[in-house]
Amino acid sequence: MLYTELTSSAQKEALERFKAKGFPTNKWEEWKYASLKSWNEKDLDWAPSALNVASSAVLQSQNGLTSFHGALPAGVEFSSFDSFLASNPTIAATWEQRFPILDQNSLYDLNTALAVNTQVLWVKAGVTVDQAITHDFIVSAAKASAVQSRLIVYLEENASLTLIERAFTIEGSAEVLSNFVQEIYVNEKANLTYVKEQDLAPNTTHIDHTFITQLSDSQVDLFTFSLNAAFIRNNLHFYSDGENVVSNLNGLYVPGEDQLMDSHTVVDHRKPNSESNELYKGVLLGNATGVFNGKIFVRPDAQKTNAFQSCKNVLASTRATMNTKPQLEIWADDVKCSHGTTTGQLNEEALFYLRSRGISLANARTLLLLAFVQEVIDRVEHEETKLRLTDKIISKIQTSLAI
Amino acid sequence: MLSIKNLQARIGEKEILKGINLEIKAGEVHAIMGPNGSGKSTLASVLAGREDYDVTGGSVEFQGKDLLDLAPEERAAEGLFLAFQYPVEIPGVSTTNFMKSAVNEIRKYRGEEPLDAVQFLKMFKEKMSYVNIDQSLLSRALNEGFSGGEKKRNEIFQMAVLEPKLAILDETDSGLDIDALRIVAEGVNKLKSPDNATIVVTHYQRLLDYIVPDFVHVLYKGKIVKSGGKELALELEERGYDWIISALGE
Repeated sequence: MLYTELTSSAQKEALERFKAKGFPTNKWEEWKYASLKSWNEKDLDWAPSALNVASSAVLQSQNGLTSFHGALPAGVEFSSFDSFLASNPTIAATWEQRFPILDQNSLYDLNTALAVNTQVLWVKAGVTVDQAITHDFIVSAAKASAVQSRLIVYLEENASLTLIERAFTIEGSAEVLSNFVQEIYVNEKANLTYVKEQDLAPNTTHIDHTFITQLSDSQVDLFTFSLNAAFIRNNLHFYSDGENVVSNLNGLYVPGEDQLMDSHTVVDHRKPNSESNELYKGVLLGNATGVFNGKIFVRPDAQKTNAFQSCKNVLASTRATMNTKPQLEIWADDVKCSHGTTTGQLNEEALFYLRSRGISLANARTLLLLAFVQEVIDRVEHEETKLRLTDKIISKIQTSLAI
Repeated sequence: MLSIKNLQARIGEKEILKGINLEIKAGEVHAIMGPNGSGKSTLASVLAGREDYDVTGGSVEFQGKDLLDLAPEERAAEGLFLAFQYPVEIPGVSTTNFMKSAVNEIRKYRGEEPLDAVQFLKMFKEKMSYVNIDQSLLSRALNEGFSGGEKKRNEIFQMAVLEPKLAILDETDSGLDIDALRIVAEGVNKLKSPDNATIVVTHYQRLLDYIVPDFVHVLYKGKIVKSGGKELALELEERGYDWIISALGE
């Protein structure tokens, strides 16, 4: 490990914490169904070399090095974390008092220790960025590696941004554990739409930690589409810290043969009169494993909270497994909260109906599965992204059902 | 067109069809009547290929092919159509969308060129007029929130689009008021030709006022116990089924 290059004491301490705990194993409560135990025994390259992959995206992270290409839209700045803090003394003064990162899973520590290139995408007050910013998140390595990436997105008051993230692996890469931490701040009346497309190689493990703090009258529409990878873990954590905050969490995972996809979400309602809507859907193919753990906290001050959570899954194969666990902790008394999870198979009667009209069994299943996932895809307003996701999902389902 | 010989079928351990014999020629309308639980819907389901039933004996030949050997979608492609007693609600799938897939899959099976969007539009428009159904209903999720009449009209619309050789109407009159019944029956009658045939499965005679059968068969305990012309239906309406059952010595 590159211990010698760690300069700050915070990094050194974080590394010590990681070394004490190692990668999560299924003995850890939050990692019961999704263990990374095998990574403790691997001989890893902890700082794989930089990539130089051609990409048309304006924002690119290549093995953890994040850069902006082309002209910055008016009112948008892109800088290193250090220079961001230097030009924002108020933020710098309070940075260490930001919400605690509750997820004590050691991977956050690993990222804190080894992420060398933390960048900030910063949208100024009142600025609406017209064109979506596309972020290509690329990993690849010649030998087994752990890649640390870190990005901060900061929206000032009344700012508005759409971010389209495409996480992928370069073909021929050795196995990579991609460990990506994001901290996102959405200030008063700001608006963020964020679509994550996770379509990585069958030997890539991708861990995404996204922490979002929202202040009053802000709205976030977040989408996580998990399409391919050996293992995907999404730790999505919302701090709803204002009034009239709207947090929309949308997730769709389509794990196939030998793939595991795990969504751990937390919505922490800390102030009154806000709402969160969570819709997660999964189609599990082959011998896939899915995990959904959705926590909602409603703090004593958060009266009149509306918090809804729904997680629906279809086991498209008899060999697939889904584990779901909704957790609600409510300390306020005047709130509306609901949750529901379902896991089942395709409706046999509906399949017979479609077949009786001349549609083959494989196509009938595809049609029903697509109808099932469409509810999530249709919420994406960015047309090009919606079409790309639809195509990818149809082709994945068709390929899996054809086997 | 359809030749059923000694057809036997069961669901689980329960024998339901105990030797059905039936010959249907092009241009004919056959009514299958009988008390509840006699096996009428089972016969319709077995012909369409529902997998809940095990065929334990007998044969069914449809236009020279062994029907029982075909998957449900192949039966549809060969020209068989079942109008469901309880049409299934399918969220997220619209009638027009899935009918396009169905038509083009069947065309592919028959070695025909697929239809394009313009051809579909024209064809759907024509068929919609048969059952007085409008576009907005067909664009909605299939049968979701449809009234009983809308569901059955949608079934007949699909039948009009697929132009089957043999249509099986399974209790199509159930849940319909008299106006809806008339619309549905008129749709079926418009589709009638010397080249196709219809099986009307029904408990009551009233549908047969509108779709006039050439033959009426009474199914009881899994067998056809009496056959006759359309006047048999009227007699059943008047006298019920008991006289036939007692004539069997039961």
